[in-house]
Amino acid sequence: MEKTILLETKGATKQFGGLAAVDNVDMKIYQGEILGLIGPNGAGKTTFVNIITGMLPITKGKVFYKGKEITGWPSFRVGRLGLSRTFQIVKPFRGMTVRENVAVGAMFGHKGQTRSAREALEHVDEVIEFVGMAHLRDKHADELTLPYLKRLELAKSLAMDPELLFLDEVMAGLNTKEIDAAMALVQEVNKRGVTLLVIEHVMKAIVGITERVFVLNFGKELAQGKPQEVLNNPRVIEAYLGEKFVKRFARQFSSQQ
Amino acid sequence: MSNKKKAPIKLTPLDGLFKGRQGVLLGILALFMVFLIIFPLLPFASGFWLNTITLILLLSAMAIGWNFIGGYTGYAAFGNVAFFGFGAYGTGLSMTKLGLSFFPSLLIGAVAAMLFAILIGLPLLRLKGHYFAIATVAVATAMGEIADSWTSFTGGAAGITLPFFRPIQWSGQFFYYTALILALGGLLLTWIILQQKLGYSWVAIREDEDAANMMGINTTWAKVLAFALSALMAGLAGGIHAYWKTFVLAEEVFKIDYTLQMILAAVLGGTGTIFGPFIGAFLYYILITLLVFYLHVGQLHASILGTIIILVMVFTPKGLMDFISGRKKLTLDTLLENIRTYRV
Amino acid sequence: MESLQLTQGVVNALLLSGTLALVAIGFSIVWGILNIINLAHGAFLMVGAYTTYWLFTLYGIDPFLSLPISMGLMFVVGYLVQRYLINMVIRAPLLVTFLLTFALEIIIINLATNFWKGDLRSVTPAYAGMGFTLGNVQIPYVRLAAFAISLILTGLLHVFMAYTKTGNAIRATGMDIDAAQLQGVRIPHTYALTYGLGTALAAAAGSLISISFPFDPTVGGAYTLRAFVICVLGGLGSIPGVMMGAVVFAFIEVFSGIWAPSMKDAIALLVLVLVLIVRPSGIAGKAFYH
Repeated sequence: MEKTILLETKGATKQFGGLAAVDNVDMKIYQGEILGLIGPNGAGKTTFVNIITGMLPITKGKVFYKGKEITGWPSFRVGRLGLSRTFQIVKPFRGMTVRENVAVGAMFGHKGQTRSAREALEHVDEVIEFVGMAHLRDKHADELTLPYLKRLELAKSLAMDPELLFLDEVMAGLNTKEIDAAMALVQEVNKRGVTLLVIEHVMKAIVGITERVFVLNFGKELAQGKPQEVLNNPRVIEAYLGEKFVKRFARQFSSQQ
Repeated sequence: MSNKKKAPIKLTPLDGLFKGRQGVLLGILALFMVFLIIFPLLPFASGFWLNTITLILLLSAMAIGWNFIGGYTGYAAFGNVAFFGFGAYGTGLSMTKLGLSFFPSLLIGAVAAMLFAILIGLPLLRLKGHYFAIATVAVATAMGEIADSWTSFTGGAAGITLPFFRPIQWSGQFFYYTALILALGGLLLTWIILQQKLGYSWVAIREDEDAANMMGINTTWAKVLAFALSALMAGLAGGIHAYWKTFVLAEEVFKIDYTLQMILAAVLGGTGTIFGPFIGAFLYYILITLLVFYLHVGQLHASILGTIIILVMVFTPKGLMDFISGRKKLTLDTLLENIRTYRV
Repeated sequence: MESLQLTQGVVNALLLSGTLALVAIGFSIVWGILNIINLAHGAFLMVGAYTTYWLFTLYGIDPFLSLPISMGLMFVVGYLVQRYLINMVIRAPLLVTFLLTFALEIIIINLATNFWKGDLRSVTPAYAGMGFTLGNVQIPYVRLAAFAISLILTGLLHVFMAYTKTGNAIRATGMDIDAAQLQGVRIPHTYALTYGLGTALAAAAGSLISISFPFDPTVGGAYTLRAFVICVLGGLGSIPGVMMGAVVFAFIEVFSGIWAPSMKDAIALLVLVLVLIVRPSGIAGKAFYH
C-alpha cells in the first residue's frame, strides 16, 4: 500500500561542541501512522524533536515536510505549518485559565489565521472535553495537578489542528490505569487523522499503540521496524531493554498474538 | 453529554477585573473618570491641582505603556525614559526647527520614539531577564549623554526652548485634557489589545516563551510591538511634557527617575492589569506627597522613596490591585505570603 | 596620536585595569552565586571611599591601612543586608530583586549626600602626587600600589574560593543550591557571606579609588555599570574572565577618554550593548540568550 511521507529527515545532526546528540538520522514518518521513538535516556530523542521544530538550531542535515524543506525554520512557523508537540516537562501558561491555555493553540496554530481570539476561545470547548477537562475549563493552570497538566499539554497541542503531533513521554509519571486511558486517547487522536510520533519509555504503550518503532542510541539510529521485531532485536535489547524485560514481555507478546 | 450552553467569556486573568466587587469597582472607577473629566470646570480647580493631576496623568500614561512590555509580556524594561526623551526632543525640535504646530510635532516625536524602540528592540529583546534590563538602562543612559553633547542637533546641555501655549490663560486646561486623553486612550488601547490575539500572545510569552513559540506565536514581532507601544505612550507623554514645560533638557528628559516612577506606579497598582498602572500613578503621588509633606523629610525624600520600594517589593510586589479588588484580604498573613514563597 | 600619548595611555589602562577588576569581581560573585544584579554595588564602593576619607581626614590613618577597616565594616553591612533583607525575596522574579537593590542604592546615596554633602572629595596623603618615570611615561605610586593591591585581593579571593571550605561552600551554592543544602551548607548564611564578600571587595575598590580619583556620593552608579560591562565582557563565574574583561574595558575607557571625552560613558554603554548582542557568551562564560 502506497503511503505518503509526511515528514522526512536526511542526515539530521545536532552537535553540542564535540558531542553529537543527534547523529546523522534518516527518518521517514508516513501519513496517518503512529511511530514510536524509543531509546535510552540521553539517546537524543527529545533533541531530535527539538531540531525539527526549531527549538534548537540544526547543525547538519535537512528536514522535509510534505516534500517542502523546513530545515531551520523558527518554531512558530513550524507550528503554523501543522506540526505540534508536547513537552516532557509540561509548559502550561500558569497565569491563564485552562480554556485560555488551549485557545492560544487555536489562535495561532495551523488554522489560527481563520479565527479571531474570541472565536478561538469558543472553539476549544470541544478539545477540552476530548481530554476530559470540561469541568476544569475556567480553572487557572496553576491550580491543576500533574495528570491534568499533562492533559492540558495535549489539549494545547491538539487545539493547533496539527497534522503531525510529537508526543514527548506523555505517559511518564502515570499509573497503570492512567496509562491505559492515555493510550486510548492517543489512538483516538490518530483516528481523527493526526499522524503521531510517540517518544516513550513505557513499553506497554509502545507495543499497544504504535505500528512502527524507531530506536535511537547515542544519537544514531539503532533499529527500526515493527514493534515486535524491534523489541526482539538483540542489539536493542543489549543497548536499552535488558534481557529480563524481554522475558517479561515475551509472555505479554504471545498473549497478545 | 457535552454541555452545549456556552459559558460567558471571562476576561480574567488578563485584565484584573474580577468577581464579587467587580461591579462596585468599575462603578467607582467610572465615577472617578467622570470626576477627572469635569474637574477643570469645578470652582476649586486651582492651577496647582490642575498641574498636579496633569503630572500624575502623564506618569500614568507612561506606566500604562510600560505595562505592555513589563507587565503583560514580562520583559522588565528599565530604560523607557529614553522614549520619553525621544518624544520630548522630537516634539521640541519639530516645533523649533521645523516650525510645525504642536500636534504634528507631537506625532513626529511619538513616531521617533516608536522607531527607536523597534530599532533597539529587535536586538535587545533576544536577551534574557537581567541582561535585557541592564541593556535598556545602558541604552537610555547613552541616549541621554548623546543628547547632552550633540550641541549642533539637540542644543547640547542647553537644550531646546519651546514656544508658549497660547492663549496662556487656558494653558493649564489644555495640558490637563491632553494628558487625560492620553491616559484614557492608553487604557482603551490596553483593553482593546487584551481582546485580540496580541494580548494573548503577550501573556503567553510571559508565562512560557518556548511554549508560546511552539504554539505558533511570532514572539519577536509580539515583543517588539509591546516595546514599540510602550514607546508610543512614553513618547507622547514626553512630547506633551516638553510643550508644557516649554523646555527640553537632556539631563531632565533622560532621567532614570522617570523610569523608576513609571515602574513603581505600575507595580503599586498591579502589573498585568488594565487599571493597575492608572491607579498606581495616583497611589504613588499620594504616597510621596503624604510622606514629603507630613514627615517633613525634604532632603531625605529619596530615602523614603527607596524605603517604599523595598516595602512594596518585600510585601506586595504584585501591587495593591488584588487587595483593592477583594481577591485577597489585607491581613498579616497575606502580606507575609510573598516572603514565605520567595525567601531562602 | 603621538607615540608618547599612546604609551602613557597604555600604561594608564593597564594600571586602571587592576582597580576595575577589583570593582567587577565583587559584583561578579554576587551575580554568579546569588543570581542578583546588585545595583547597590557602586553605592557600597562609594561608602568604602568615604570610610577611607574620613579615617584619613579625621584620624590621619593612612588610606592603604584603612583598607581592612573599610572592608570589614562593609562586609558586616553587606552580610546583614543580605541575611535580613534580600534573603526574604531572593527567589522572586528578577524585577523584585532588581528594584530592591535599586532602592538600596537610592537610600545609601541619599543618606550619604545628606550627611556628607555633595562636594567632591579626594584622599591626598603626602605621597599622593609622587611617582616615577619610565622612559617618558609617568607612573604614580598610588596607582601602582592600587594595581598591586587589586591583584593581591583578587588572588586572595581566588585562593579563598578554591581552597577553603567556606569558599567551596559558596561555589557549590552557586552551582546547585539543592545539592549544596543536602551537603549541609547553610544557605541563608552562605548567601549572606557571599554578599558581604561582594560589598567588602566593593569597599576595597572604593578605598583605592578614593586615593586616585575625586569622588562624591554619586560616583557609585558609573562603577556599577562598569562592573556590569566587565562581567559581560569577561563572562560570569570566571576570575580570569573578569580580569580579561577589566583589561579590555580599561583600554576602551582610557582611549575613548582621549579621543572623545564627552562621549566616554556613552561609548562604554554602547560597547556593552554590542557585546550582549554579538557575543552571547562574552569572552568566556555563560550565554545570555534564551
